[in-house]
Amino acid sequence: MWEFISTQFTILHAWLFQTIIQPALYWLGMMSWDEMAFDGTELFLIGAIELLLLYILFRPLELLAPAENWPDRKQANVDFLYSMLTKLGILPLFFFLALTPTFDWVNGTLRLSGIIPPNLEDFIPILKNSPVLSSVVYLAIFDFSDYWRHRLQHSLNIWWALHSLHHSQRQMSFWTDDREHLLDQLISSLLRASLGLIIGVPPVQFLVVTLISGAIEAFSHANVRLSFGTIGERLIVSPRFHRLHHAMAVGHDGRHRGCNFAQVFSIWDVLFGTANFDATYHPTGITDQLAGIDYGEGFWSQQRLGLTRLWRTRGPQL
Amino acid sequence: MRFCFILSLLAVPIWAANTAIVLNSADETISIIDTKTYSVTKTFRIGKEPHHLMATPDDSYLIVANALSNDLVFLDRATGEEKRRLPNISDPYQIGFSPGNKYFVTASLRLHRTDIYSGSDFKLLKRIPTSKGPSHIIFDKNSTMVFVTLQDSNELAAIDLAKMEVAWKISLGKQPAGVWITPDDKHLLIGILGEDYVQVVDWRTRKTVKKIRTGAGAHNFIPQGDGRHVFLSNRASNKISRIDQQTLEVVDEFPAPGGPDCMDVTADGKQLWITSRWIRKVTIVDIASKKVIKQIPVGRSPHGIYLYAHAPRS
Repeated sequence: MWEFISTQFTILHAWLFQTIIQPALYWLGMMSWDEMAFDGTELFLIGAIELLLLYILFRPLELLAPAENWPDRKQANVDFLYSMLTKLGILPLFFFLALTPTFDWVNGTLRLSGIIPPNLEDFIPILKNSPVLSSVVYLAIFDFSDYWRHRLQHSLNIWWALHSLHHSQRQMSFWTDDREHLLDQLISSLLRASLGLIIGVPPVQFLVVTLISGAIEAFSHANVRLSFGTIGERLIVSPRFHRLHHAMAVGHDGRHRGCNFAQVFSIWDVLFGTANFDATYHPTGITDQLAGIDYGEGFWSQQRLGLTRLWRTRGPQL
Repeated sequence: MRFCFILSLLAVPIWAANTAIVLNSADETISIIDTKTYSVTKTFRIGKEPHHLMATPDDSYLIVANALSNDLVFLDRATGEEKRRLPNISDPYQIGFSPGNKYFVTASLRLHRTDIYSGSDFKLLKRIPTSKGPSHIIFDKNSTMVFVTLQDSNELAAIDLAKMEVAWKISLGKQPAGVWITPDDKHLLIGILGEDYVQVVDWRTRKTVKKIRTGAGAHNFIPQGDGRHVFLSNRASNKISRIDQQTLEVVDEFPAPGGPDCMDVTADGKQLWITSRWIRKVTIVDIASKKVIKQIPVGRSPHGIYLYAHAPRS
């Protein structure tokens, strides 16, 4: 079965690339990018399949056991645009093109100075022969980094000015995962790419890690009344666990400026004292929205207002 | 001498002559193929982004260059078994020994640099920054120069091996990739990936003497083994061109679906084995009939290929 799916995917991928993408590259005089574009085409197709699967799997759950009942999905719909831009590889491609020259320069300069960045496998040789294990280790490392990045997104006012866009969704659904300010996404991509450079994550593993974490994170945002049980809640981020992170007057308040920051493994919140296992399903959003603060309804107004908040909050404040 | 030769033949397992080794660059694996049954007998992990491979000058081992793992892996040529791993070889994309084996050179495609190592102990001698995208390399017959195509700056760099510095650069067509030198040591043949021709350069005068129209995405070369012809893969037009190195003309064309890249020719000169990057397969072409006779599924983005029993590299 898997072999059949894989073969069909390969045929579709090769057809799309050779029929549309490669001729376009040739015409534009950009054949140096053909291998990269081939990978990009794969990312696009995987993203399209992922979007479809997310809808098929999670939408019925949202209908079956919603955490909240909404009269319509007007506010939720804009998040689908964010998911399209991210999961179809459009924003990642843009960030890749923006960041690659800098990273090539850093990498090249290091090596000209005799410093060859080590690979994770150099320290843990067993990973060399186990793609599954190495993917899990990479996932854990990236998720650990994401946990602390997320803590900073809440604790630094200047970063919260951007990240609050993500939290302003009062109709949180499985599409909300990718609702981020573009600048916020660029910073996160920069951090992820830096970590990738340090530990030397290969593209395949990076793709696997992105897909797995993307699926779990999408599910954790779903408008579903679902817990993973006493033990499961302490290992993997569930919709119930993450809903508390988005809960109005809970998710961005208190000593740590919020709770349940983990993206995939909730164990980080347990270890660092930021876990909240309250079983209540609160409404989502930011408290000041009740006082009329506007975070925008459409994509462009949300982006513009994010920059406005950033300008007003300029200067790092803890 | 003859006795030694016979003994060395006996030392090779009887099935060894049937081995093809393919680098699945996006899967980090290599596939071992039985060339008689056309079946993959083994697939295993080798390292990150293995792109090119070559035999050591004494044919003892096969060297696989893992660009992202920063290492070289020495394999048994017949079985693919790992014998040795040499770390701290920075971003080896394309590799080559100079004639006489004094130097071992790596082109670092991502980091815009060419590194020169000692051919005997792989000690780093010099890192030479170049323009963008050094991709393929070739040496002149006297080992005075290594020529490097610079894919992203549309140039060819000639590096003086004695001085270990860039001696000169010339402009080429869009995205020059594979490079080959004719047996008379006079002309460089350069596959122009962004266009549809092979640019022929007299490297001593640094002049382009001809453009041989082949097909869109002219990419990489392998000699037929008869001392006269080379095969060229055309990645975007999905065909292989056979070029006469004396007349500098295309004399034949062969089908090669799926983005042909690296190639090898069987020892009997009857088959051309090609990695088909976009379809995850190795394509085998019967040279006499000009027909695809087999496609073998391998891993993602297959790139380098090596036949244990291959035609002479000339």
